[in-house]
Amino acid sequence: MPTLTIALKDLRLLLRDPRSAVILVIMPLVVTLILGLTLGRVFTDKPDSKIRISVVVEDEGLGDEPRAFPDRPWSEILLDDLADTANIRVERIPSREQAARLVERGDRSAVVILGKEFSRRAQRCSFVGGEFKRDPINPLFRDGVKADELGVEFLTNPTQPVGSSVIQQVVQVSLLRVVIPWMIGQAFDLIGTDRFMGKMEEKIPALGIAYRVPGFSKARLGDGIRGGISDFFSEYDFNAKTWSGLTESKRQFSVHGAVAGFGVVPLRVVATRKPAAAAPTRSENRTVYADPKDVQYQMLVPGTTVTFAFFLLLTVGWLFVAERRHGTLVRLRLAPISRTQIILGKAMPCLAVSLFQGFFLLACGKLIFGMTFGSRPELLVPVVVSTSLAAVGLSMLVAGLARTETQVAVYGTLLVIVLAGVSGSLLPRELLPENLRQLSLLTPHAWALDAYSQLLNPDVATPQVGRVLTACGVLCLYGLVCLAVSRLVAKLD
Amino acid sequence: MTPPILTVNAVEKHYRGTPALRGVSFDLAAGELFGLLGPNGAGKTTLLSVLAGLTDASTGGVTLFGKPFTSRDAEARRAIGLATQDLAVYPELTARENLLFFGRLYGFSGSDLKRRADEMLALAALTDRANHRVGTFSGGMKRRLNLAVALVHGPRLLILDEPTTGVDPQSRNHIFEQVRRLNAAGLTVIYTSHSMEEVQALCPRLAILDHGRVIACDTVTNLLRQLPTTARVTTDQAVPKTLPGVTGRRQTATGVELDAADGPALFAALRHWPGLEMSALDVVPPTLERVFLKLTGSALRD
Repeated sequence: MPTLTIALKDLRLLLRDPRSAVILVIMPLVVTLILGLTLGRVFTDKPDSKIRISVVVEDEGLGDEPRAFPDRPWSEILLDDLADTANIRVERIPSREQAARLVERGDRSAVVILGKEFSRRAQRCSFVGGEFKRDPINPLFRDGVKADELGVEFLTNPTQPVGSSVIQQVVQVSLLRVVIPWMIGQAFDLIGTDRFMGKMEEKIPALGIAYRVPGFSKARLGDGIRGGISDFFSEYDFNAKTWSGLTESKRQFSVHGAVAGFGVVPLRVVATRKPAAAAPTRSENRTVYADPKDVQYQMLVPGTTVTFAFFLLLTVGWLFVAERRHGTLVRLRLAPISRTQIILGKAMPCLAVSLFQGFFLLACGKLIFGMTFGSRPELLVPVVVSTSLAAVGLSMLVAGLARTETQVAVYGTLLVIVLAGVSGSLLPRELLPENLRQLSLLTPHAWALDAYSQLLNPDVATPQVGRVLTACGVLCLYGLVCLAVSRLVAKLD
Repeated sequence: MTPPILTVNAVEKHYRGTPALRGVSFDLAAGELFGLLGPNGAGKTTLLSVLAGLTDASTGGVTLFGKPFTSRDAEARRAIGLATQDLAVYPELTARENLLFFGRLYGFSGSDLKRRADEMLALAALTDRANHRVGTFSGGMKRRLNLAVALVHGPRLLILDEPTTGVDPQSRNHIFEQVRRLNAAGLTVIYTSHSMEEVQALCPRLAILDHGRVIACDTVTNLLRQLPTTARVTTDQAVPKTLPGVTGRRQTATGVELDAADGPALFAALRHWPGLEMSALDVVPPTLERVFLKLTGSALRD
């Protein structure tokens, strides 16, 4: 009961102190806005080592026409190839118009547009002529793939030629990896077929005579040729039609049958891997943020929320010092209540204020700055609560030791700014050197930021719940330890 | 004889080796209004902290209502009310909110708490300002509220540390009246002040503390007896040396100063001494301030 009495009194004092509202609520919003306007690009254009390939997918696919390959649109195959490429990050942009705006204002050096015809044109790619394939396209040329032949466009910013060239080259390589195995596979499928053997017979008339030899037939010769080539290029699967299938060792495939010169039995190469299901492309698994400002506030709001949670230190400090200056701390000690009740009574309203601040800033982040709460919004609750607990614990510890308002202002501000800086609250943690990033885990800010990052960072496809809860646990422990220490060392005289 | 409610027995207090109290001892009877005097740095605040249970004696002990008392005796502290030298009230809260808050800390609630708060507001003559924030109060109003807050839980021992510092004469008189009234109602009071007049006017008995020691502890009457009455005689005649009861004599520019233990007898002897013509005769009785200065010296204390 005395704890609650002290808590309610302090809450009333906090609410009547306009400084608290300014520091804890108004300032974070202003700082978020200012940082968003001035440093926002730092958050969106993080210097990660990956090259961002921005893509607009207009591809209409292949329709429902039955076919052996592929089982999904060619655009998905291409995007997966890009996403699987080391140091490449695929970003999907919803529309050509948005892409044009991003390129025009220099936010993207180039954007790839996979046109409506992309799948249908890729399907027509073939090494063999119209005799074997209807209306074939050979998109290959000296520099790679003729993008326009496949319905691929590049929107480029002429002021960023290097960046756009790099992106075009990356896409060229991916197109090669997609198209060439497909073209090889189709060609290899033809080897040994009647049509292929007929063509052979045109070139080698003696084959017609040979077919009359008992036990020798066009079909067996066809099988033999196909088996021979397969045996000769034993490290490759020319039927695979995908780059990974083409380049994987055949040892990974089960081989039924045997090859022995002309005395071959029909050979089938069956991939043990299941064909790719119609799963979403890996590039689609992540949240798409085409507008940079959406991303910057997604990062900024948690940063300022964490930073200003610890500005509570100043408020609590002033509350403590005022209590000491007014002499009321002596009255509290004189009352029949314990030291623990005094500490808890002072911590409770601070926790309430901190919780309000945390949820309020996140709500403002959503309502004002357009941020989203990610796929697990419910986990934000323990993060806010544990961050507040850590902030209250640290605040009580410092406030209990400070004797004057000057000490609170100087040491408190210094501590808050240093902790925010070291932990990477005000700049992306990715900017910190690795050793400093590790060191920053000594600060509660870093744990809070890590939890927020798991939940709100658009680069994190699926939040690791365990990691979030671990961070919450560390923050709670931090807060409780600080409270316990403040109970022991706080100067209440 | 009623047993003392407070016994201070050979209390010593050291701060990092520096003695603040050295063997302080005295008793306090129930219903007594006891003064505590001492120059700056004498150890008064330290002694009050020990008596209020804010800190413990290094050696020696305090017995309160017949039981040993330390800072860990939270329940025993219920019996003590302390009006500190600092205004220990919240300026952001109203007078009533301050009283209600401190009343709740002592376990009062509901109508009982409200009644107590109203009584204390009346005692402090602040009923009409009950719902005003204390920050808007004058120094005197804050002092009165400070006293009211110390009393809200109904203590049996009231400790007043410089309760009239910085107040106007009206508020000082009001505080005096309330202290006298409370004491008359049976409340035991320890009163410290730099104003010797206040203590002399209020407290029948007092202790003088200096350098951490009690250098005098007696009734005011007995303490005043330590000093003679002084008669300042203005005359151009020789004052006879055979005047009865004169213990001291000092020549001045206008006459002579005579000290005597029995002031009225000296006065009568001078008035009726044959042939002695005086243009003025001032009789200066002993004061507590003179006793204090005599005991503690006139050297500055900072």
